[in-house]
Amino acid sequence: MTGSTLIILAIFAAGFAGLAVWDIVRAKKKNQKYRIRSSATAYLMLLPAVLLAFLFILLPILYSLGYAFTDYYLLTPNDINFIGLDNFANVFKEIGEKGTLYHAIINTLIFVVGVVPLQICMALGLALFTNRKVRGVKIFKVCFFAPVVISLSVTSFLWLQILSPSETGLLNSFLGLFGAEPHDWLRDPKTAMLCIIILSAWQGCGFQMLIFTSGLSNIRNDLYEAASLDGANAWQKFKTVTWPGLRSTFVYIIITVFIGACRIMTQPMLMTGYQDHTVTLSYYMYTQGYTYRWVGYSSAVALIMTIVIGTITLIQRRAFREK
Amino acid sequence: MKKLFKAISMLAVSTVMACGFAACGGGGDNGEVDSSGNTIVKIMFHVDEKSTEGQAYKKRIDAFNTAYKDKKIKASATYQARTTGAAGYETELLNKQIEGTLPDIITFDAPNCASYANSKLLYDISSLVSQDVQDDFLSLNKYDGKLYGLPIQESSAGFYYNKKIFRAANIDVSSYTVENPWTFDQFKQVCAKLKNAGTTAVDMRLDATKDETATYLLYPFIYAAGGSFTSEDGFTATGYFNSSATQSGFQFLKDLVSEGYTSYSIGATDFYTGKVGMFLSSGWTIPEIENKYKETFASRDDWGLLPYPQGTAKASATGSWCYGITNNHHKDKSAAKELLLWLTSTESSDAITTATGMIAARKSVNKNYAAGSPEEVLLKQLQLTGKARPATVAYPTFSTCFNQIIYSLKDGNLTEIINTQTNTLQSEMNKLHRS
Amino acid sequence: MKEKTLTVDGKTIPLNNRMTGKRITKEVIYYLCGIVLSLLFLFPIIYMLATSTKSESAYAESAGSLAMFLPDFAHLGTMFDNYGSVLTNYSIWKYALNSFLYAVIVIVLNVLVNGLAGYVMAKMNFPGKRLFSALIIFLIIVPVETSIIPLYSIVKIMLGLKQTASILGIILPSAISIFNIFLFMQFFQSIPKEYEEAARMDGSSTLGIFFKVILPLSKPIVATVAVFCFIGVWNDYLWPSMILPQASEGEWPLMPIQAALTTIQSMEGITTGEIMASLVITSIPIFIIYVAAQKYIVQGFGSAGLKM
Repeated sequence: MTGSTLIILAIFAAGFAGLAVWDIVRAKKKNQKYRIRSSATAYLMLLPAVLLAFLFILLPILYSLGYAFTDYYLLTPNDINFIGLDNFANVFKEIGEKGTLYHAIINTLIFVVGVVPLQICMALGLALFTNRKVRGVKIFKVCFFAPVVISLSVTSFLWLQILSPSETGLLNSFLGLFGAEPHDWLRDPKTAMLCIIILSAWQGCGFQMLIFTSGLSNIRNDLYEAASLDGANAWQKFKTVTWPGLRSTFVYIIITVFIGACRIMTQPMLMTGYQDHTVTLSYYMYTQGYTYRWVGYSSAVALIMTIVIGTITLIQRRAFREK
Repeated sequence: MKKLFKAISMLAVSTVMACGFAACGGGGDNGEVDSSGNTIVKIMFHVDEKSTEGQAYKKRIDAFNTAYKDKKIKASATYQARTTGAAGYETELLNKQIEGTLPDIITFDAPNCASYANSKLLYDISSLVSQDVQDDFLSLNKYDGKLYGLPIQESSAGFYYNKKIFRAANIDVSSYTVENPWTFDQFKQVCAKLKNAGTTAVDMRLDATKDETATYLLYPFIYAAGGSFTSEDGFTATGYFNSSATQSGFQFLKDLVSEGYTSYSIGATDFYTGKVGMFLSSGWTIPEIENKYKETFASRDDWGLLPYPQGTAKASATGSWCYGITNNHHKDKSAAKELLLWLTSTESSDAITTATGMIAARKSVNKNYAAGSPEEVLLKQLQLTGKARPATVAYPTFSTCFNQIIYSLKDGNLTEIINTQTNTLQSEMNKLHRS
Repeated sequence: MKEKTLTVDGKTIPLNNRMTGKRITKEVIYYLCGIVLSLLFLFPIIYMLATSTKSESAYAESAGSLAMFLPDFAHLGTMFDNYGSVLTNYSIWKYALNSFLYAVIVIVLNVLVNGLAGYVMAKMNFPGKRLFSALIIFLIIVPVETSIIPLYSIVKIMLGLKQTASILGIILPSAISIFNIFLFMQFFQSIPKEYEEAARMDGSSTLGIFFKVILPLSKPIVATVAVFCFIGVWNDYLWPSMILPQASEGEWPLMPIQAALTTIQSMEGITTGEIMASLVITSIPIFIIYVAAQKYIVQGFGSAGLKM
């Protein structure tokens, strides 16, 4: 492994050197110059970050890329063979046969489409709700934020008790007050994903609420006063002052919530185990790579997933930037 | 400039430290011999040290060290409890394998034997141990004709039942013995009577699909129905896993759900608190009942154990964890062999199973249990009807597929579900067969 | 329109209409909504706290009724028994201490490494900068789960971080965070140039400017990054459980708290109440830190501008 790492390092160093030389040449043409001392300082200050990022972020990604074209089986780490596009062929075969991967994609899609709007709307609503200078607002903020403090695994465990199928489970006993029958929320394919969406939004929206709050605090008050003078009501104020002011915050939030949502794994893993109606892409990748020990195949899935998410994110950036 | 130097030296120091640590880390494991000249045999157990089982192992290790002090062999044990989810024993095992620091002896769950043997993780002990030393329960420990493991203990499971509830509902099960177990129909009749008496009939552990528990407890029903899972070499599932006999086994379980005799929402301690008539569980429950739930079960007049029901065949759950010698970098396995033989001796077998309540894997450690007692039921069941889980390299996939079928027993078309899972298992087997 | 007035000491003060009637109703409705919403967000946590005070039988008894949300008042004396047993029997304090130590080291390294990088990217120009800008955007997008197994090989095989040295495998990868570089970058860009120019005129080196001028001005963003790091280290269980070795008899365990929790929760004999107690214990430190740092986080994001 060290050998190929050094090769990758050499390639990057060469690429960087080439780009640096080109920059210097370009600067000379414009009659500007890069100062040697300040450039050297810059390089040195960047060095720890670059070293760590290379080792622990870039290298794993590149290796994962590499494994995608091999048959790496975890129990035989010394017997790795290059198999070209076989893994990818299997990926599409599995999707075509509507295997577990197909369900994983569908479930992840459902989750993302459900959680992103829900969580963002909840966060925005709560941010607007607490955007007043009244006594006690701070307490509300802390309450709305409390679920964020609970880690995902704790949340999963708690909600497992809440959604328990017996009639003494929290949700069932609550609904039982209105005469409803106890329901197995997590086992029923129709409600399982919905429950996971709701509890994930519950857990996360407090954090986005904070970010929205800081975005709101950046909007100048005189804009609101001007709108009031023009006779605008609350909704119009929101449309003309608040919403444009929150634009960059919103772009940031939608991108981060989207990427986070695509990576969901803890909730299905701890709440239902590996089942077709709740399996997600990350969970599938983890099981294939670690439990079934097919690292090569799992990396191929990861590569495809990265490309798709990356593309969608870039599109999002373009789309929301364009005004 | 001074600050720059400071920064560079900080960086240099930390890099050196990192390399130093790396070097340090590697050095300690290469030594097989410690400072007093003892050969160290490292063994890793799959339970928490503080548990009853862990303590039992510890005592045997200590006894070994005392006995072998003169022969200069010392055993060193680590305990890594197995858990669900991410952490756990197998993670640690894989860690060590990749690191090159595999202990000399590991414990592993019997169904994994094929997989580990196939990947050359385990050392072939057929040459070390003559196969008749322990011929008792070895079927899962053989792969490709060679022996790779020796059982720590054996296990069996059965239907614990609440005698008070049974008496109140006028149910008589005294004629159902291991030699003449009840049939599927008789089982359902008992369930029906329990249901009519107003209790949940049976806890079939349908909720235990997040790990091996559900597979372990429920697979015998398929064998009992005349079905099977894989071919003998473990590389074919089609035709076995989706045979009609196998399906009838799953159908029986499905009927139990649809007829309201069991459900997915039975609480973990409901049987212990007297809310459920029967409870499918392994021998581990015996100490649990006797130690913790005296309120409900004051004496053995209040609870008993029934064997697995029979279909066209008789089958009950078997298989537990085993010891295996690894293919690590220590070429000389003689010291490890001594520890292995010690731990599987009659004495150790007796000590460990007394602590855990499981069944000894050595026939000679036949504790003379009272006739009709739960322990005797389990022992006889193991000897007469015990049938091991399928030995296949694709065992993790098999377990997941089985669990998925159990999970969806309530809804959906059983034939479709079974076929889907069979296809999944078969493609996994195909992948493994090539490599 | 009748004007409401208030007479005090003979002086008549006209009361703002907004202080009465409609206004009060609006306030009341607001607070009611707030309380209902707060309950919706808090009820699982209240449930967790209440269950942590119960023994297994008390828990079974109260299941299904409103008593689920109430602590075990019937057994006031033994209410905190679960906490006691969890802390002593399962030595949770050891793991909590581990997490604290890891967190502190990671925070210091993280702020230094990423702060320096963020500063360079924000304020300095050098040949080859374009490559790094592009890499930053690219690396933020790639999900982490894809790299866990290669990262594992790199840490364990290539770097050879075995046994105790595995701690470095926890600390070093957490010391770098492209996202934090991004945050620092955005924040530093909003610091006016004048500060640096003044410091430079005083003869300060670039590194000196960073430590003496920029960092002190960056309290909000440093606090934000510190809080994120702490939470990341505290809540992480997948990676530590893959990397760190299990402690042998008598040794100090290396596991951080969340990873240890996963093991503890599946131990034989642990009651629901004890599990809840352990969950509460792990959540408290984070809660305190969040509440204390809330102001800084809002400030930090606010000034960062967040231009994606």
